Amino acid sequence: MGGSSKIDSSEYTDLNRVIRWFIGLRWAAAVGVLAALVFGHVSIRYSFNFTVLYVLTGILVLMNSGFALYYGRIKRGNLSRKEMGIFFHVQICSDYVLLFLLIYFSGFLNNPFIFYFVFHIMLTAFIFPSRVVFYYVLALVLVFSLFMGIEYGTDFGLFFRGLAGLRPVEIPGQSVLFGLSLLTTLILTAYLVTRIKIRIVERGKKIEFELNRYKSLDKAKSNFILQVTHELRGPLAAVKGYHEMILKGITGNIAEKTGDTLKKATRRTKNLLTIIDEMIDYAYMKSEDEVHFTKIEIDMHDIIQNNIEYFENLAQERGIKLVFSCRKNIKVYANRDLLNIIISNLITNALRYSKPDSKVSVNGDEGGDEVHLLVRDEGIGIEEDELENIFEEFYRTRKAREIERDGTGLGLSIVKKAVDSLGGRLAVYSELDKGTSFHIYLPKT
Amino acid sequence: MDKKNILIIDDDKDIIETTGALLEYEGFTIHSAESVEEGVKMIDLVKPDLILLDIMFPEKKTKGFEAAEEIKASHPDIPILAFSAINREYAFDFAKEDIKAEEFINKPVETDKLVELINKYLA
Repeated sequence: MGGSSKIDSSEYTDLNRVIRWFIGLRWAAAVGVLAALVFGHVSIRYSFNFTVLYVLTGILVLMNSGFALYYGRIKRGNLSRKEMGIFFHVQICSDYVLLFLLIYFSGFLNNPFIFYFVFHIMLTAFIFPSRVVFYYVLALVLVFSLFMGIEYGTDFGLFFRGLAGLRPVEIPGQSVLFGLSLLTTLILTAYLVTRIKIRIVERGKKIEFELNRYKSLDKAKSNFILQVTHELRGPLAAVKGYHEMILKGITGNIAEKTGDTLKKATRRTKNLLTIIDEMIDYAYMKSEDEVHFTKIEIDMHDIIQNNIEYFENLAQERGIKLVFSCRKNIKVYANRDLLNIIISNLITNALRYSKPDSKVSVNGDEGGDEVHLLVRDEGIGIEEDELENIFEEFYRTRKAREIERDGTGLGLSIVKKAVDSLGGRLAVYSELDKGTSFHIYLPKT
Repeated sequence: MDKKNILIIDDDKDIIETTGALLEYEGFTIHSAESVEEGVKMIDLVKPDLILLDIMFPEKKTKGFEAAEEIKASHPDIPILAFSAINREYAFDFAKEDIKAEEFINKPVETDKLVELINKYLA
């Protein structure tokens, strides 16, 4: 405790919990003390001044009731740090005083329960900073030394002993040793607990620092992806727009040859766009841990339809028929980006490696506790010896490189990683020059 | 037949030029603004039937997606189509669903798709 004057709400809740625990523990202590007193009194083995002891127990009960009432009032309202500190000091001090008096009037150093002081010094060391703990320990050492001196060294002590109901001690030296042992235990315990507390706090700070660093790195990374996506796709959108303006004749009539040449430029521009999409997906998949993917309920029909719409024009330009079929209301609990990544990359490949006048079909279905996604093309196919390599990063088949120059070889590795992240599996069947079909199975939940 | 007014708000001049020209070719009247502030002022001047709003504006103080809320508050009857070069949710630092727009479109968009969407919300 110590620091700025206002306590933030989470620390306040923690402090409230500690106070509640204190008060509860004190009730338990009061019951324990009462039981011990009754036992001691009834067994008539002890010649203590039980009146005083019962009174002290009563005071303990009264004090704790006071604390409980006060706690009830401050629970919701805001105490400043100083006021909270004072409340803790009052509790700790009254605990020490009452404990001391109870022990003193029930045998002092002969009462083994004197070791509850060790427990109290541990509590003090946990709550207060080391400087405050030092003062408490010093006070205890002084008080103990004073009373030990009085009790065992003077006539005045004999008077006190009478009041305290102590039997004369046989070996004074023993008591002194006992007292020394107690005091050194207190000092060592206070020191040890303080050191442990400091270590724990330091560890906590280190963890918080690492966590903040991780969070800001994460933010920097996603900021980077955002920038890259925006800066690459934006200009391309403009370029595509200008091509379209020219081809539609908005800027004036163009010669046929000009139009054909421009169409070639447009084709490569569109390729570039898909390549950029692949690379951004790749960068994202590489950088994320699985735990980051949030899942929501997705309708297979809708997500497939969105992707089909996105690729419709591209398919048309290539003379490829792009179709899909999926019943409505097939739901899968998955991450939307990952599912989009899977579908779009598979369609990109299918369109890229198909000949004109062929068909690419996307199907969504469900079976048991899985949803089934099928992307099928009638394209160049994959040779059997290459089938096991197609999911490797940067791998492109021989035929693929022949038919289309542009391509990263990343698409399927991205798809595989996405499917793995969603907890699904995939299968591929292919026949050279006949076509390829990719089957994705995803768990519904 | 009355030509419909469309207001394009985008910080990319070329996007304004290309999207504007392509939509004009399809029969719309186009107005444009290069910042959210300018765009909001134009709404009262030109009274658009629909707004195409880019949601980024990285260089500017007011981001497009914040503008959508502002515009919807003052002109709830004008449909807003939000568009962006960003096509993956993981790239955003806000939720797509939070954008107060009728639809969210990725740039580049095929012109016929765009026209289809515009007509859908003008009806």
